[in-house]
Amino acid sequence: MVLADSESAVILRLRGPLDLKCLLDSIDVVPMQKTISRTFEALRLQVKSESCVLAVCNSPVLIWPNKSVFEEITPDAPCEDIFQFIQTDDQETSGKRSTKKKNKKGVSASVINLSLMMEATKPGPVSAPILTRTAHKSHLLCATLPMDCAIWSSCSDTIKDGCEQLMKALTRQLFEMEKVILQCMKGTTLLVPEPLHFLLPEPNGLVTVVLPSGVPDKELEAQRRELHGQFELPDNRPFFRRANTYHFPNEPYKDGYLRNPHTVLTHPTLDNGKVYLVQGIYSYHHYMQDHMDDNGWGCAYRSLQTICSWFQQQGYVERGVPSHKEIQQALVEVGDKQASFVGSRQWIGSIEVQAVLNHLLGVTSKIMFVSQGSELASKGRELANHFMTEGTPVMIGGGVLAHTILGIAWSETTGEIRYLILDPHYTGAEDLPVITEKGWCGWKGPDFWDQTAYYNLCLPQRPRVI
Amino acid sequence: MGRSYIVEDDVEGYLSRLCSQLAGPVTGLLIGQSTVQRDFVVMATRTPQNNESADGGKSVDKEWVSEHARQVSRMLPGGLSVLGVFIISESDAKDTLTTLRQLVFSVENLISSERLWTPADDDVTDCVTLHVNPKTRKTVCRTFDIKDPKSVAKPADWKYQSGVCSSWAMVSCCLSVDLMVPLPENMAFTRNMDDCLKEELKVWAQQIERGVCLIDGKKLPEDAELKAGQKKNVRQTISAQLLITPDMQTAADVVQRCGGCVSVSGAIHSRAFLHSNKPKAKLAEKLLKRDIVSTVATRVQMLLEEPQTQNEENKGRKQTEQFCLPRRVFCAVKSTGPLSVCDYQFSDEGLSEMTDRFKEMLDMDAAEEDLDATQEMIAEVIESEVTEEESAEENEMLDPWRNNYIGVAMATAVALLALAASIVYLSDV
Repeated sequence: MVLADSESAVILRLRGPLDLKCLLDSIDVVPMQKTISRTFEALRLQVKSESCVLAVCNSPVLIWPNKSVFEEITPDAPCEDIFQFIQTDDQETSGKRSTKKKNKKGVSASVINLSLMMEATKPGPVSAPILTRTAHKSHLLCATLPMDCAIWSSCSDTIKDGCEQLMKALTRQLFEMEKVILQCMKGTTLLVPEPLHFLLPEPNGLVTVVLPSGVPDKELEAQRRELHGQFELPDNRPFFRRANTYHFPNEPYKDGYLRNPHTVLTHPTLDNGKVYLVQGIYSYHHYMQDHMDDNGWGCAYRSLQTICSWFQQQGYVERGVPSHKEIQQALVEVGDKQASFVGSRQWIGSIEVQAVLNHLLGVTSKIMFVSQGSELASKGRELANHFMTEGTPVMIGGGVLAHTILGIAWSETTGEIRYLILDPHYTGAEDLPVITEKGWCGWKGPDFWDQTAYYNLCLPQRPRVI
Repeated sequence: MGRSYIVEDDVEGYLSRLCSQLAGPVTGLLIGQSTVQRDFVVMATRTPQNNESADGGKSVDKEWVSEHARQVSRMLPGGLSVLGVFIISESDAKDTLTTLRQLVFSVENLISSERLWTPADDDVTDCVTLHVNPKTRKTVCRTFDIKDPKSVAKPADWKYQSGVCSSWAMVSCCLSVDLMVPLPENMAFTRNMDDCLKEELKVWAQQIERGVCLIDGKKLPEDAELKAGQKKNVRQTISAQLLITPDMQTAADVVQRCGGCVSVSGAIHSRAFLHSNKPKAKLAEKLLKRDIVSTVATRVQMLLEEPQTQNEENKGRKQTEQFCLPRRVFCAVKSTGPLSVCDYQFSDEGLSEMTDRFKEMLDMDAAEEDLDATQEMIAEVIESEVTEEESAEENEMLDPWRNNYIGVAMATAVALLALAASIVYLSDV
């Protein structure tokens, strides 16, 4: 993953609303655009003014970036130093926890949240206010711009550097928002721009893109195409759908499922071996979740759910992860099962997983058949190819238990192979250390498979879309 | 245990002068600061004579006293408020209780109806009443919990002390105000403008209340004590800063039709006083924010009460009218201490009108040179940053009263600039 390169990096994230408010004297396109542009220019001046303040959340640290006033900290200190001022009252906040995690492997970046504020006070003496009343039929434009800038800074960057970058990003975002508003203007209907963060493959890294809010992804393909060009990204997979937005490390997933538990594992070292892994983000689905007692029969359903979560979180589909019942219903709908199947506790296998993926997600899958578990050891090249080109989690079932394969380590020269397995039979809580230490998510050798049983592997193929 | 009021010595002198001068019953207001820990009374002021009253001031006029209290509370900076009422009468203290009770409730109701800030849990809701017998000079002090309509009188301590006015710390700031309110399309009545402005002021008040207050440049923990302000007889000013952030609005329509707009734009000087017995940062912040909200709301209210703002003849003729809000002028309560009261001066008023009002409302003998009018200037309509388009249009300056008819908005109201450019100015005065 990209995050691994950026160990001990700090993300500075600046958020805060800005009021976009102006009277539109005319609602003809040109004068309206002119007024809107002028209002944006005023906002850009406002954030460049001395009254602009960056307040580090949960800390007394305040920065006036445009007059180089740094309260509580020294501007030449590294960004990381800010963490010592941040109060962490629970585990939710970034601060200390991330710093602690740093000693472990598979570290992601830590986030410093800042809020954008304006100093309303000014030096006196002052001129008392004037009330101006304008009686003139017109239109009022009134919106709140949800400014949200994030920059990736290395730990050697000073606080001053970080703030300068943030302020540049803020001004740039105002330009982008102006562009989006003007582009999407239809009569007097304006769309509020929405900044979204995406973590792109290197060399792009973390980027922020402004899209019109309220417009569904499927209507934004033209914008995405432009973005793919701009960032030189392949035109066959989504990078800028809303589901692709970067999940900041200090924001816990609200649904409670663990994401990518395998990232904390150490890769096996094989002679001349390479590691081929699932690409992107999935959630770990296993027995007993969602108040559903499926212990003993639901493993393939759970593996299928993990696959569905991957397609959803990569932005291929908007559909949520299907429940056992929805999976069963789908199988009835495609004619694979009788109506009585819905609500039963019957097993499903790889072929059913393939059918459901096709019916509910519109995703086709390849089936790989091995008549004996021992044959799996020779499937290294095919699996490696799958993870390189498709990168989807693989469901494996057949005569015995169902599992999810998340990747392999394979040596082309020796043929040696290890499998990264996500086990849906886990019945415990979402406790990452337990899951990884007890091997519910872990690397397994070829002897993991029942050498004499047959296996069917369902290899989902990702649609070529953006 | 009841509340214990620590009262400035001068109040004793003031009350005893009233006792010796007057025959009939006299009412008045008690002014000071009530906090959970301590209560201080710094001033007393008699109710002005009501020349229009039927019985020539022989009986207590609840409405008159309340109106006086409303006017006085506008003249009190942050930290000072009308704490209650006094009555000097020969009747038995017990017999005046009902009157006093009615008075404090009526006073409090009227004053609180003008408040735009949100009351806090630790606000003191007890109001003080004081009965003084002019013959015996016996004083009886009682409090009523104003939050409880059924509250009964609770005895309280009333203790005179010298120098109560001298040990106060002042927190102050100057703050920019920039409001813009759309007016409904069918704006025919001033009522609309008043309501719209009041709504916007409420939203703005919440923004101020949510703001981050810095004391001497620092964000202090809530329970921190202010270091300054603990010495006596030294004018100690603590400067405050306020950081604000707008509210996230999720209006359905980004663009809405309107019949025009009202803006309030400029700056104000705000101050609040804290008794310097271990003043807390949290209290300083609360009092200052309330003063900010009150001083703006009061002035807008005062302007709307002015007849020419309401002048129907102007409606529809002028497309853009400007009115200067009054400036804030301060006057020290005592020459030795930092405590001050304030009044608002319209551009057509002289300082003598201020001193008259201090006399009438607060019974203070202030000379013009005692007034501090340096904190704020009355706005002049400044032609700053006039763009080419605007300067092409000649601004006609007519100043028959306080209002200026002018087309160029303040530089801050950038949006208005665009509008002003296309306005034709009609002047028929």
